[in-house]
Amino acid sequence: MTPVDAPAANDVILSVRDLVTTFDTDSGRLTAVDGVSFDVRRGRTLGIVGESGCGKSVTALSIMRLLPQPMGRIQGGRILFEGRDLATLPPAELHRIRGGRIGMIFQEPMTALNPVQPIGRQLSEVFLLHRTRDAADAWRRGTEMLRKAGIPAPEIRMHEYPHQLSGGMRQRVVIAMALACEPAVVIADEPTTALDVTIQAQILELMQALQRDLGLAVVLITHDLGVIAETCDDVIVMYAGRVAESGPVESIFDRPAHPYTRGLLDSIPRLEGTRKARLRVIEGMVPGLRDLPAGCRFHNRCPHRIDRCATAPNLEAVGPGHEAACHRWRELPPR
Amino acid sequence: MDASDVPPAPLLQLEDVQMHFPVREGLFLRSTRSCRAVDGVSLQLPAGETLGLVGESGCGKSTLGKCIVRLHQPTAGRIRFEGTDLAALGQAALKPWRRHLQMVFQDPVESLNARHTVGEIVAEPFVIHGEGDARERRERVLGLLEKVGLPAAAADRYPFEFSGGQRQRIGIARALALRPRLLVCDEPVSALDVSIQSQVLNLLLELQRELGLSYLFIAHNLAVVKHVSDRIAIMYLGRIVELAPAEDIYAAPRHPYTRALLSAIPRPEPRGTRERIALQGDVPSPISPPPGCPFHPRCPHATDRCRVEAPALRAAPGRPGHTVSCHLDL
Amino acid sequence: MNLPRLRVDPLTHKKLQRFRSIQRGYVSFLILATAVVLSLAAELLVNSRALVVRHEGRWHFPTYGRIHTGKEFGLDYAYEVNYRELGRKFAADPSGRNWVLLPPVPYNPLENCHPGETFRPRPPDWARQNFLGTDQINRDILARLVYGFRNALAFAAAFIVLTYAVGISLGCLMGYFGGWFDLLVQRLIEIWSNIPFLFVVIIVASIVPAGIGMNLGVLLAIVVLFSWTGMTYYMRSATYREKARDYVHAAQVLGASTARILFRHILPNVLSTIVTFIPFTIASSISALTALDFLGFGLPPPTPSWGELLRQGTSNLQSPWIVASAFSALVLVLVLVTFIGEAIREAFDPRKFTLYQ
Repeated sequence: MTPVDAPAANDVILSVRDLVTTFDTDSGRLTAVDGVSFDVRRGRTLGIVGESGCGKSVTALSIMRLLPQPMGRIQGGRILFEGRDLATLPPAELHRIRGGRIGMIFQEPMTALNPVQPIGRQLSEVFLLHRTRDAADAWRRGTEMLRKAGIPAPEIRMHEYPHQLSGGMRQRVVIAMALACEPAVVIADEPTTALDVTIQAQILELMQALQRDLGLAVVLITHDLGVIAETCDDVIVMYAGRVAESGPVESIFDRPAHPYTRGLLDSIPRLEGTRKARLRVIEGMVPGLRDLPAGCRFHNRCPHRIDRCATAPNLEAVGPGHEAACHRWRELPPR
Repeated sequence: MDASDVPPAPLLQLEDVQMHFPVREGLFLRSTRSCRAVDGVSLQLPAGETLGLVGESGCGKSTLGKCIVRLHQPTAGRIRFEGTDLAALGQAALKPWRRHLQMVFQDPVESLNARHTVGEIVAEPFVIHGEGDARERRERVLGLLEKVGLPAAAADRYPFEFSGGQRQRIGIARALALRPRLLVCDEPVSALDVSIQSQVLNLLLELQRELGLSYLFIAHNLAVVKHVSDRIAIMYLGRIVELAPAEDIYAAPRHPYTRALLSAIPRPEPRGTRERIALQGDVPSPISPPPGCPFHPRCPHATDRCRVEAPALRAAPGRPGHTVSCHLDL
Repeated sequence: MNLPRLRVDPLTHKKLQRFRSIQRGYVSFLILATAVVLSLAAELLVNSRALVVRHEGRWHFPTYGRIHTGKEFGLDYAYEVNYRELGRKFAADPSGRNWVLLPPVPYNPLENCHPGETFRPRPPDWARQNFLGTDQINRDILARLVYGFRNALAFAAAFIVLTYAVGISLGCLMGYFGGWFDLLVQRLIEIWSNIPFLFVVIIVASIVPAGIGMNLGVLLAIVVLFSWTGMTYYMRSATYREKARDYVHAAQVLGASTARILFRHILPNVLSTIVTFIPFTIASSISALTALDFLGFGLPPPTPSWGELLRQGTSNLQSPWIVASAFSALVLVLVLVTFIGEAIREAFDPRKFTLYQ
């Protein structure tokens, strides 16, 4: 993802460098994100995929500076956005960027909406905070935004409360709020996980359409490889707080270099697959943050491990824009 | 899916099962309307087979599963297990039958009592049904743990010491304790990590081969359901809209809803060029289902007939064992 | 599995460890626990009876056991010995053969410490061993405080056991069975809890036959009668919540009986949260008893009680040691109990607070 030849380096709109995020708990300090770097480009979608505890959501929360306080803390690294480092920005300036220049979409739309306010009021508040001082104007813009988000009869919906809407409609409202101030970047953390497949398809389509119209950069965090494949341009595969592999979506799915990515792709049942055949599995279990293995974090589950894997591998270029953190990526058998 | 001509006698046979929950409202909590969670489901499940039950949230698939294990008392219909109508039995008469029908739950954190050791959890079926003495139970618990791939030492530990996948194994061990014939699996892998899902699916398939179990496999992930099932039933608003052999439903879906569902699943292949059938709107409320075909408000092919007349499940022409509930021949 | 269920499960163990790590609560707990243990042995510490009497080569331990008359120790009266006087008499005997060992506070809470002298509050007097002074009828304040504390504790303990027993069982049944039963009991509870408590206490106090008197048992019965309802609300909703969880469904699918589900599954999971209420119940029951005593509807005189001391204190403000000692003791105990309660809540139910920047 770090472009060597950088033909479109000026397209990079959000750049995360060596991000380290920790949590202080009863049993000591846990490192949830350990040296993660990536670039987000204008008009493109970056997918971050991984299993529970891999640090994908913590990465998103770190960018937004929404880590639970006082336990969570960014220990190191920079989050460069429009010439400023979000990791050290004072809260007052952060508020202007958050919701204004960077939008957020969360997994559960109900938690992102205030249950006792009509959605129109919540939506126009975003405009009042960032764009206009005129309440009527804010209301008008809010209605327009709902229409863009594909909500039928937005004038009526503006007066309704979140609980009167279905899950899909609520997520559309959240998307409308996130996009209200024409942000440069939208961070979507599992935006469709709580939704049904047919609704998920609608929402993903809406997000893609809005992205095309507004030239947004999107960071899409999900555990669903299908969603990644269908909506993302670039992918980061995270495992246990580190980047295992990153690159353009086609390279990742066609030529996965890291054994973990390969394992993931092999283990999911496919519609075309043979029924009741034994699925390939990744042995063992996802490590908890308390007992991370030393060296390559994946080596205790890796079928290709050797002694050298006890030392942590660096990300190496394995193809154009495609990097993997594996000592043995050259030697692995072709899939 | 063997091609034997004589259909095996069904282990489980549902006849027009309905589960209508009363909606209590108003000052005196009178029940004036009802939520038709399951609205007339008939199906058969032969011994040793897996029937997949797919649908979106609120379609009644979990409610149907709970009716079968009698967590709900269905409001109408018959649930015949080896010919006996379980729906007509009281709790006491039902108890001896319970050993034959067990359930695997979605969330392994919720479904295990955090205050009991794994050994106590897995031994509880024996205690409830008065089987064996303490030593015998202990032995059988260790055997069950081994069968689901857990070490014997797990018996003296507590559920929270295990990961999600291991906890689901504990839940499976408990469900297997009484040697059931039928396992109702309610979204057994959807709460698990991707790399753990395949481990649990493999375990379920192995157990089926080894013990000749029948599964009613409830899930929303069609790829997972297709992988484990012999036949698949698609549910929409409390009814079965299509029921067919697993390969068939994927290769030649007949119902417009099935087609939309299949096309909506994101496939792990980047930039695939396939046409997506976009469904408009949301699933209607089962409290006031639309008249006629329940799917017609979202159906791209709906005709006037669909708006008035509810279609019955009928055999799809030229497809043995494939039934569909649609007026149209798509 | 075959071991008896005495061991603490690791979740509880962790909670206890977290409790011990909360210093303020843990230290308060140690102080209060010490006070409770000492108050149980109050007869050995605060008593007009001697601990040991050595008389003519024989040992006597009058604290527990039968009453010794004056004649037994060579005095000229046939009622109970005044050991303080006995001690002085023996001490005057230069041979030193006979002696008396008195408790650190040689008064019982009911007696007039200075017979023959006028009734008036006396300030603390270390020489006469009235460490906190005396009240308006010459009774030792420290003795009354200690025994009053013990009465309050006994009251609180009985109060908790009774209110929780009623509240937990009824609330649990309401939550588990729901439906009409729940609805009916809820309405009855609402009616019941609208009966004004204090009026009932006043009425009962006026009609209880003098022969029985307003003793601890009657008072307890009245207070419990009006206090169990709070627990049913909590238990009802907690049981509703637990009942809907899958581990209960799993037990139902296995064919577990209602009793088994209630006692093996739901109750253990709900009770662990109830532990956090206990300290606050103790605090409120102690304050309730003190308030009733203060108002004069509590325990009958001369039972030692903090409320009665407070009342004396407020009507004798020119003798500030009465109100000061009773007030300090009350505040100290309530603060300790509250600290313990806070720590238990923190340890059992850690709501890690979160702020966003």
